[in-house]
Amino acid sequence: MAGKPVRPTSAIDQTRRMLSLVTYLRERPGARVEDVARAFGITEDELVSDLDVLPMCGTSFRGGDLLDIDTDGERIWWHNPAALGAEAAEPLRLAADEATALLVAARAVATLPGLRESDRQALLRATAKVEAAAGEAAGASSRLSVTFESEGGVFADVDRAISERRRLWIRYYSPARDEVTEREIDPIRLVSVGHTYVEAWCRRSEARRTFRLDRVAEIKILDEPSAPPEMELRDLSQALVQPAAEDPEVVVEVGPGGRWVAEYYPHDSADELPDGGLRITLRTPDPASLRRLALRLGGDGRIVAPRELATSAQRAAREALAAYDGIGAAGNTGDRAVPDARSAHAVHDGRYDRQEQGL
Amino acid sequence: MAIAKAERLMNLALCLLGTRRPLSKRELRGSIEAYLEAGTDDSFNRMFERDKDDLRELGLVIETVESLDGEVGYLARRDSNRLPPITLDAEEAAALGLAAKVWQQARLAGAASGALQKLRAAGLPEDVDPYETHGALEPRIPVHEAAFEPLMLACRDRRPVVFDYRKATAVRPETRHVEPWALECWRGHWYLAGFDRDRGAERVFRLSRITGRVRSRGTGFTAPVPDVVTVRETVAGWAGEITDRSARIRLRTGAGYPLRAKATAVRELGDGWDELDIPYGHGLDAWLVEFGPDVVVLEPDELRADVVERLRAVAKG
Repeated sequence: MAGKPVRPTSAIDQTRRMLSLVTYLRERPGARVEDVARAFGITEDELVSDLDVLPMCGTSFRGGDLLDIDTDGERIWWHNPAALGAEAAEPLRLAADEATALLVAARAVATLPGLRESDRQALLRATAKVEAAAGEAAGASSRLSVTFESEGGVFADVDRAISERRRLWIRYYSPARDEVTEREIDPIRLVSVGHTYVEAWCRRSEARRTFRLDRVAEIKILDEPSAPPEMELRDLSQALVQPAAEDPEVVVEVGPGGRWVAEYYPHDSADELPDGGLRITLRTPDPASLRRLALRLGGDGRIVAPRELATSAQRAAREALAAYDGIGAAGNTGDRAVPDARSAHAVHDGRYDRQEQGL
Repeated sequence: MAIAKAERLMNLALCLLGTRRPLSKRELRGSIEAYLEAGTDDSFNRMFERDKDDLRELGLVIETVESLDGEVGYLARRDSNRLPPITLDAEEAAALGLAAKVWQQARLAGAASGALQKLRAAGLPEDVDPYETHGALEPRIPVHEAAFEPLMLACRDRRPVVFDYRKATAVRPETRHVEPWALECWRGHWYLAGFDRDRGAERVFRLSRITGRVRSRGTGFTAPVPDVVTVRETVAGWAGEITDRSARIRLRTGAGYPLRAKATAVRELGDGWDELDIPYGHGLDAWLVEFGPDVVVLEPDELRADVVERLRAVAKG
């Protein structure tokens, strides 16, 4: 399930978990396997594999003071808790990496404008307590920071609609078509990966869609109940956009100034060209939606295929130029913008567009 | 059969935590089965040094004490390893549970779970299941860049680094020597701020443009680390979001919603066009060109010239 944390599997992770487990079990004779696994955020299988290792551990394998911990699969029993002195089973201080990982994440989540106020207050209180308990170990956490982006008002409405199970009406901007359309959606969940998205059942397209909150131009909570069909939640963590194999192929050749395309558009291949440029092959259900890319690239790249896409960009550029005839801008090249700036707005428009392109 | 590393580390930790006097390497070797099986002294010594480093990595403070007869002993004192008292209520516990699962990077995900487990062992309330979806929100911190982990460690330990970096428009990567200060994730991308030794000034790097491996340099920092490192302002400047200038454009009615959303003024012209004032920062020319014939730049001249030049390049085919 998407909500589970990435599984730690290293020996270091397992050791740190077992050290905490020892402290935890000492206080809870006969603890249930199910409860302990849940408290530690691990599967029962993982817990059982820890319980297999613990009886091999102790302060000396010869002295017969190995931990006598076993389980019948349901409950866990520790027959010689005195094998470790009372002090040796005390909770351990947080390591620098642990404090950093928890504090940076907590501060980031607290920046979500749509977070419920009571949750934010709880998080801020918890953060302060963890900082105090971590002491020096908290110091390095200032060297890492994360900001989530989300549109506060829209977020709050979506969040409320989900918890009250109500339908939403939105006006939504689709960059692929440069148009704003109205639609009714049954929201399922909010996902923040850089930007914040709502995954929903779109009643207009009768399909599951992902909508980026900063592209919602207007939103209303409707009185109708939300009724998304039963569906399995996908793991959206790796990529919100997964081009389908049957989508048409687009080939773009860019010079060094257009290399950013490979950073923003999921692609099948990006081959180096002798001039420092790239030949990029990507797939999209709607190649016409890439006209904006062709226009944006200007002299930094060109569409190789499909031919119609290249032609349509060329036509649009000529039409646009016609409006400047007589204004007299011709020939003046002016100062060039800093190179990095050219890719800047693609941040908004490239990477996660498949959903919108499909609309 | 080889003894699993986690078992060996666990035994070493319990020995060091359980003792009141420093234990010598010889004693530890005699108490831990995996060390007895280690074979030669050399391989035992290497294993022991690595294990100590690993335990320190997970937060154990291990002291090295030399006795009068010159023998070195080790112990993990309770005072320096005990978690100070911390009391969290159920709401606070649930909020931390949500925070602990946002990392999508194995090392930090493992560290965050580890922190939560230590707090759990210290009595963090369990009434609310932190691994259940909390409300409808699933925040995730993406980490796709290979350079992230070595840079994170270098920032933590204040170690200079060397890497090859390809600027957005550069043909070839260039080797950069950097004293790394801080990493920041903005709009889903990671950036590094630090002191660039070759340029003798502060620079911000985008991690996805680092090519090849990040290598450490053993020497210390030569430049002072500022109290406040501002990555986001620099990146926002690249993104054209910091500007005090304004541009005037004509936009076809109904088109260009994002331009309207950014506009400081919109006037309906009534002939199928509107006139907008919009902030003029870096990259505005490229953005406007995306709207093709639906946008006409009125002023300033410099912006109009840039847009026309870009359009000509596309019109040429």
